[in-house]
Amino acid sequence: MTSTIDPVIVARDLRKTYGDIKAVDGISFEVKRGEVFGMLGPNGAGKTTTVEILEGMRDADSGDAIINGINVKDDPRGVKSIIGVQLQQNAFFDNLRLAEIIDLYAKLYEAKVDPIELLSRVGLEARKNGKYAQLSGGQKQRLSIAVALVNDPVILFLDEPTTGLDPQARRQLWALVRDIRSNGSTIMLTTHYMEEAEELCDRIAVVEDGKIIALDTPGNLIDQLLATGFRPEKRIREATLDDVFLNLTGRDLRD
Amino acid sequence: MKLYIALTIASLKMYFRNKQALFWALFFPLLVMVIFGLMNFEGFNSPDVGVHDAANNDASRALIEILRGESGEEVLSVSVGTPEEILHDLEFGGSRAAIMIPENFGVQGEFAELKVTYDERYPQERMVISTVLGQVTDALFKELAGVPDEYRVENTIGISESLIEGQGQGFKGWLIPGIAAMAIMQTGLFTVVFTLVRFKSQGVLRRLKATPIGASHFLAGQLTTKAIVVVLQTYVLVIVGAVVLGVGIGGGRAGAWFDLTVMALLGGALFIAMGLAISGWAKNEETAAPVANIISMPMMFLSGIFFPLSIMPDWLTRWSQYLPLTFLADGMRAITVEGAALTTLGSELLGLGAWIVVAFAVATKMFRWE
Repeated sequence: MTSTIDPVIVARDLRKTYGDIKAVDGISFEVKRGEVFGMLGPNGAGKTTTVEILEGMRDADSGDAIINGINVKDDPRGVKSIIGVQLQQNAFFDNLRLAEIIDLYAKLYEAKVDPIELLSRVGLEARKNGKYAQLSGGQKQRLSIAVALVNDPVILFLDEPTTGLDPQARRQLWALVRDIRSNGSTIMLTTHYMEEAEELCDRIAVVEDGKIIALDTPGNLIDQLLATGFRPEKRIREATLDDVFLNLTGRDLRD
Repeated sequence: MKLYIALTIASLKMYFRNKQALFWALFFPLLVMVIFGLMNFEGFNSPDVGVHDAANNDASRALIEILRGESGEEVLSVSVGTPEEILHDLEFGGSRAAIMIPENFGVQGEFAELKVTYDERYPQERMVISTVLGQVTDALFKELAGVPDEYRVENTIGISESLIEGQGQGFKGWLIPGIAAMAIMQTGLFTVVFTLVRFKSQGVLRRLKATPIGASHFLAGQLTTKAIVVVLQTYVLVIVGAVVLGVGIGGGRAGAWFDLTVMALLGGALFIAMGLAISGWAKNEETAAPVANIISMPMMFLSGIFFPLSIMPDWLTRWSQYLPLTFLADGMRAITVEGAALTTLGSELLGLGAWIVVAFAVATKMFRWE
């Protein structure tokens, strides 16, 4: 990661149509190095399609996606080799041990890693000889992040990393994302949880119907809303039910 | 290359840890082979005879008709072929007698001699066939010449008999290569279909597509694994067959193992390609399984795996001789039972080759990563 190209992600007027549906309808944004950038929006807003175009998994109809100075449509392999990818639906081989899965993916990226070290980074060291199918939902997501880290990526893409996870597993994942970020990686994530976006992201793009309808820091977005005279219907309590659950069941890493 | 080897090793690990796949690839065919081999169906059938009909007239056709038995009750199990074919069958245990009908058979006033060759190892069947022939030719002559039953006239149909010593190894020897061929089909079709369709529906292939290497390398490793499995499986089945059922392989010819390996790989390539075509098309296991079964089940019974094709009606064998599994089973049988060299198996190799081309063409057209 010696490259200093900044912004590290440039999306310029990306468009993608499926039949009559404009999945991505002119999306442009930039992500700075070291930033955690969130894409927020309801299901079907075009988040995943946008991310998959950036990852070189899908071709855009028009527009440019430039990752670390490389245009994705010119060199998808080059882009794939410097990014880490966690897809929305992840699956790995049933009959390999976790350490073997990491090892296999390292070979696919022609990278050298210590599988055990990587597993311990995501808190799965104790399961190194376990099978993917035996993992809990949160553990599966953490494994897929470990796999996404095998090539020490310039950018880590996380597509709805906490969908379907219980609050504890979600907090664990957030801690992991912060840890990865503190090592200097740029992270782009999609989510439909507002709390998650507020917790993790430096800047947020709100997407609807294939378009970005707002883009700013979470703080600014809230301030702008309050400036319009908006007041929440109910006064927000100091703690949420989430906190109650965590308080009862314990916040520690539990497997 | 290093990557390819790493991927192949990884997929070999996956394969051999999959207990279900091992069961179907190894234990199931072994079980079937041993059970059928010990049951020994030979005694149940009416004796097989091969007939060459050089005359090909009403009289000779009538003779064959009578030998086959009238009104559904089979007297002899007759298959018609060239002199080479029927003698070959006799020599390698495919039949118990070879009957040559001369050109002048049924020609008025001429003496026609049926030449019959028996396998001397089967005296009982020889008795049965000889008796049947005697009665049948007598009756036929009288009918053709319009001689009333109560008259005794000299028959112008003669029978000359000779003996050879066959070298086949009976039903067991015949069964083993067929089961090995069937096991190749099962491995190629089912393990490819089930692993790939599952990888596809779970999103494993999609995740591989996100890597710089792409999924095609991974696929190559998977297919290499299946090819290795197919060869190992053939060795195990043939060796266990030889030990448990006491059957020799290729008449002791060392090159038979090489030829057998080549055959297994060709069969593997063919059925793996079929598996690829199905898994490319099918969205999930529920749709893939019936298709794989529809392809494999009829072949299991129509390709002469458990019973010789000669006991099936002609209209069926006319088609089933061109089935992919028939070519494979025939080829493997020729190598193990008759000690034939690969170079003499032109029609089997051609048949397999043609099917491989078709299957790969369909597979490349059908295959989808997602």
